[in-house]
Amino acid sequence: MSKGFRQSQAFLHTWSGLLLGWILFLVFVAGTIAFWREGLNRWMRPEIARVEQPMRVLAGSQAFLTGKAPDAKSWIIPVATERSPGAQVFWVPQPKPGEERGRRGRRGRGDTQALIGADGQVAQARETRGGEFFYRFHFDLHYMPVIWARWLVGFATMMMLVAIVSGIVTHKKIFRDFFTLRRAKGQRSWLDGHNATAVLALPFHLMITYTGLVTLMAMLMPWAVVANYADQKTVFATLFPTAAAVERTGRPAPLVDLRRIAADAERRLGAPASFIEVSDPADAAARVSVSQSASSMLSSRTPRLTYDGVTGRLVWRSPPPGAAAETAGAMIGLHAGRFAEDGGRWLYFLCGIAGTLMVASGLVLWTVKRRERLPDPSRPHFGFRLVERLNVAVIGGFPLAIACFFWANRLLPVTLGARADWEIHVLFIAWAIAAVTAFVVRPARVWPALFATTGVLLVALPVYDVVATERGLFASLAIGDLMIAGIGATIVVFGLAFLLLARRVARHRPAAKHVRNPRAVTASKVLEPAE
Amino acid sequence: MSILSLLLATAAFALLGLTTDAHHRRRFGKSPQARGRRILRTGGWLTLIASVVPAMLARGWIFGPILWAGAIMAGAGIAFLALNFIPARDARR
Repeated sequence: MSKGFRQSQAFLHTWSGLLLGWILFLVFVAGTIAFWREGLNRWMRPEIARVEQPMRVLAGSQAFLTGKAPDAKSWIIPVATERSPGAQVFWVPQPKPGEERGRRGRRGRGDTQALIGADGQVAQARETRGGEFFYRFHFDLHYMPVIWARWLVGFATMMMLVAIVSGIVTHKKIFRDFFTLRRAKGQRSWLDGHNATAVLALPFHLMITYTGLVTLMAMLMPWAVVANYADQKTVFATLFPTAAAVERTGRPAPLVDLRRIAADAERRLGAPASFIEVSDPADAAARVSVSQSASSMLSSRTPRLTYDGVTGRLVWRSPPPGAAAETAGAMIGLHAGRFAEDGGRWLYFLCGIAGTLMVASGLVLWTVKRRERLPDPSRPHFGFRLVERLNVAVIGGFPLAIACFFWANRLLPVTLGARADWEIHVLFIAWAIAAVTAFVVRPARVWPALFATTGVLLVALPVYDVVATERGLFASLAIGDLMIAGIGATIVVFGLAFLLLARRVARHRPAAKHVRNPRAVTASKVLEPAE
Repeated sequence: MSILSLLLATAAFALLGLTTDAHHRRRFGKSPQARGRRILRTGGWLTLIASVVPAMLARGWIFGPILWAGAIMAGAGIAFLALNFIPARDARR
């Protein structure tokens, strides 16, 4: 390969990585946390007990909905598991005559949903988005129209793919060098760290970026769909087939016990069920559809069974998906890692951290590389200052904002209106304050301050949980609730890591060249006698 | 079985890591000879290939490759941390 080509790739790597690096950082952080989305859904509702008997929750859900919304158009009941905070059931009321069906923004409103707890009764829990926030944020961002956010994230993801491939081409020695970590050597160390986090989890990075694009493909590349289908409904009908709809008869009939249907469906599917949808309950034409859980297979396009709601007879089962749909489904499944049990989740999580560190170290590397070449280091040019400050605001500020989000979850009064929204507002307010500080105060002061605050807030969280909630670390361990205990322990570990980082950064003295060189030489004597 | 796959992958990357000048010298006190390096490298690659087998046995053809990809990432990570952060017992110059 010619030198010119490699240099052009280096240029591409630098700029494709830098321009959208901050968005990629947010996506990586939120997406990594979202691997524990179910756990966080429970952790952020500490009043709710763990589900021990899923079928009891299902029976409770049916009893509740029969009393509350017998005439609904449909009920949607997630099948509770040990991982879920009970079952968040919701129902769709009969459309009023003249009202258009399927209006947006209906779903998730408080008046048509309820949380059924482990004992089968309606549970009172604080209003929160829980782990869902991180999941949505990593592709929808926040405070902006979803479609813009997805375009932005989609574009950033494409740039990421460009950065990965050009990075491999540029640093031809990454595979040979990847066992090397030269510590305390300024730019070299940053480069080694960037390199190691990139190459160690390279299969993951390629997979997560590529499959991330696949999840957005219908939006990014609509042409195949536009060319083959006249309207959106046909596309959905093809991709997500359902049983033929039946007319409501108006004759009342009791609904079969959903537990029986769930058991039958699980036997036929050979896997746990995830969602039960009941259309026209309490009518002679009632239908019950059961979807297979995505935890049991790679593809996220899970099969469905539909039963007659009165007799409990199986009336329809979804046809096997086409090869292309199956492939797309498998890729989305691979991206979300829903098939993975706890060990696999940890691996996904660790790889996500590696990705986060890779993006962060890449962003910092941009400034480290250029600082030494500045004509006057005390007064850098505008572009350098902008990148430097944005790095502080995003890499230092966003983790702090997340720590504040967790605290808001614990401290905001339960009676507060729009409480779930306020938790998120707190996150962004904290982040805004951090960002403003980053632009006003010198980075050398802000870095350690932000990291130290984040560390203290995170370490204090599980302490607060032990003191003020029933589900502290020890109580969770005592009943063997490893998910909640694990989240608490992980938060402590992260808090300590942030504190160490703060100390390290605070002690770092970016001395002038003639001072640093001797130290670098001694360091190499100690650490790397070979060189 | 999945643990075995992880162990094999870790061993493979440790062997491959020892083929580099820096690590070889740090652990054994001298640069690798051409022959020693070839043995280490071949051994590393063979062990890496061998780690596919238990992954497939553990999870079959669909999840096996995913497990294996996870195992080599984790193995490479462990080998990387071990080579760089475990102090050399006898760090001769």
